[in-house]
Amino acid sequence: MFSLAWRNMIRNARRSLLTVSAVALGLASLIFLWGFNDGVHNTMMRNLQQVIVGSIQVHADGFFHHPKLSKIVPDSGKVITLLHELGADNLAYRLRTFALAAGEETSEGLVLLGMNPDMEQAATRIAAKVDRGRFIGDNNEAACVLGKTTARNLGVNPGDDVVFLTEDRYGSLAAEKLKLVGIISSGEMGIDRGLAIIPLGFMQQMTGMDGKYSEIVVQLPKEQLEPVTAQLREKLGSAYEVLRWYDMYPMMKQWVELENAFYYIFLSIVLVIIAAGIMNTVLMSMLERIHEFGVMMALGCGRVRLAGMVVVESLLLGMAGVVAGVMVGLLLVHYFHGAGIDLSSQMDSIARFYLNPVIHTEIDTNHLLDTVLAVLAAAVVAAIWPAIRAARLEPVEAIHHV
Amino acid sequence: MADALITASGLTRFYDSGELKVAALDGVDLSIERGAYVVLAGRSGSGKTTLLNMLGGLDRPDSGALSIADQDLLSMSATDRAGFRLHHLGFVFQSYNLIRVLSARENVAYVLQLQGMDKKQRFALADQWLAKVELSGFENRRPDQMSGGQQQRVAVARALAANPDLVLADEPTANLDSHTGESLMALMRKLNEEQGTTFVIASHDPAVIASARTLITMQDGQISSVKVM
Repeated sequence: MFSLAWRNMIRNARRSLLTVSAVALGLASLIFLWGFNDGVHNTMMRNLQQVIVGSIQVHADGFFHHPKLSKIVPDSGKVITLLHELGADNLAYRLRTFALAAGEETSEGLVLLGMNPDMEQAATRIAAKVDRGRFIGDNNEAACVLGKTTARNLGVNPGDDVVFLTEDRYGSLAAEKLKLVGIISSGEMGIDRGLAIIPLGFMQQMTGMDGKYSEIVVQLPKEQLEPVTAQLREKLGSAYEVLRWYDMYPMMKQWVELENAFYYIFLSIVLVIIAAGIMNTVLMSMLERIHEFGVMMALGCGRVRLAGMVVVESLLLGMAGVVAGVMVGLLLVHYFHGAGIDLSSQMDSIARFYLNPVIHTEIDTNHLLDTVLAVLAAAVVAAIWPAIRAARLEPVEAIHHV
Repeated sequence: MADALITASGLTRFYDSGELKVAALDGVDLSIERGAYVVLAGRSGSGKTTLLNMLGGLDRPDSGALSIADQDLLSMSATDRAGFRLHHLGFVFQSYNLIRVLSARENVAYVLQLQGMDKKQRFALADQWLAKVELSGFENRRPDQMSGGQQQRVAVARALAANPDLVLADEPTANLDSHTGESLMALMRKLNEEQGTTFVIASHDPAVIASARTLITMQDGQISSVKVM
């Protein structure tokens, strides 16, 4: 049946080639658009994780929604050992509390985050976001880094002093004057405004929290996110909260899912067009061969077999289009994965979405498979009407059809 | 009749022609023995082709009864009739009707393929049949690479390759020159004698009529005479 269907397909080679080209062009466009879409989304999600949030954070239970200095990770040694056992070696410990920061003339409430600069290098790229000055360099130096909006509000520049007021572990007031060494400009409001980063060791001394951590941040490859989370949750129990990046910042994931949903609607529209093109070819091919179908029925070919042949012909058109379309589409994705698509003219607006100025295309295997299967399904659906018409032919009328 | 292959009684078929109903077949009674070589003769519109279509299970009568190889054709579903044609009948058409994307060998093997025979076996059998119709060396030619006479020989080979009980031929010489037509009829007659396959041939070609062992003449949808030659 495949051999006969294939020969029927190449019987009118030009028409088949046009149809295959149309399918290939549609599919290649879809694959390229998926490549751009996935490139954008994956960059956003990677940047969110890599800049400061991490893939996973481990806290004391309830810390994320009600952060307090006293809510420390119960047994940080146990957590760290477990993380290393699970192959999660890119991690950093932090201490977090609220503070009042004061410059020359004004003050502002903010989150005070103690970071170990060496560990942060392994776990996040926050240091790379310093726009002026430098990142904190020593775990015990009396230095701080502010977001650019906070620095502007306080009227301070690198080299100026900033006074921080907070509570220590006993509820007493703790105050320190720190040198502003760097200003972060990330484009993300949650970092640029209301955040001060100081060395972890200094903050532990300042607050009387030596050896204590509020959060352990882990950076993981995408494929390890779910299994490591599941293992941590199972082994750490209810005294801890193990949060994935999208548990903490669900908007990003929801936004990606929403955009993907829109994209699937667009995919459906393109599929309808592809299906219409294939149906046109298959129906014309079928109508041209009514006489031949009559002969085949006279020879004993059943209606189901005849309809099956029409479906196979349509599927072959779809498959040929898929092969060509996947090749062209993946070549485009591969090329722009290397060359990138420069969106630097839109830099102001894209930075706040954790995007880079140059988007490098990449495609998720699931999206590629979904699209390919959808095109093949469209080819089958496109054949249904011609196949039904072929199956309903009456042999004696079909034989005498001119 | 103990060895009757075809028994038909009261076969009637009307066609609508505007407000008129025209009887293409009008109460035809027929009995044909196994191994017979029958020619249906008569003018155009006499009902030859309609009767042939009935015998081939391609069309159904409005009334009457029809049995071929002890099977009641009129009680079968369309699917069962297709299966019956596949295993019991062979067809030779006026305009050859080979499948044009297939070679001569593949055309002959097509019915065998529908019957489920494996490729090697059906191609070997197809080659044997092409040799019987004197087309050795033409196995890989497509229909458009052969003359009308050669195509009709391929059609005869296709009709006989699956060893049917009955071969139905509708005006098989109509598109052939007289010499080729006579040669084809000689071939069909020879195969009838050698294979014992029953042939029913509808034609008004004198050469075909001359080859008949039984000549059934039709007129106005009825059998007007039956002659055993």
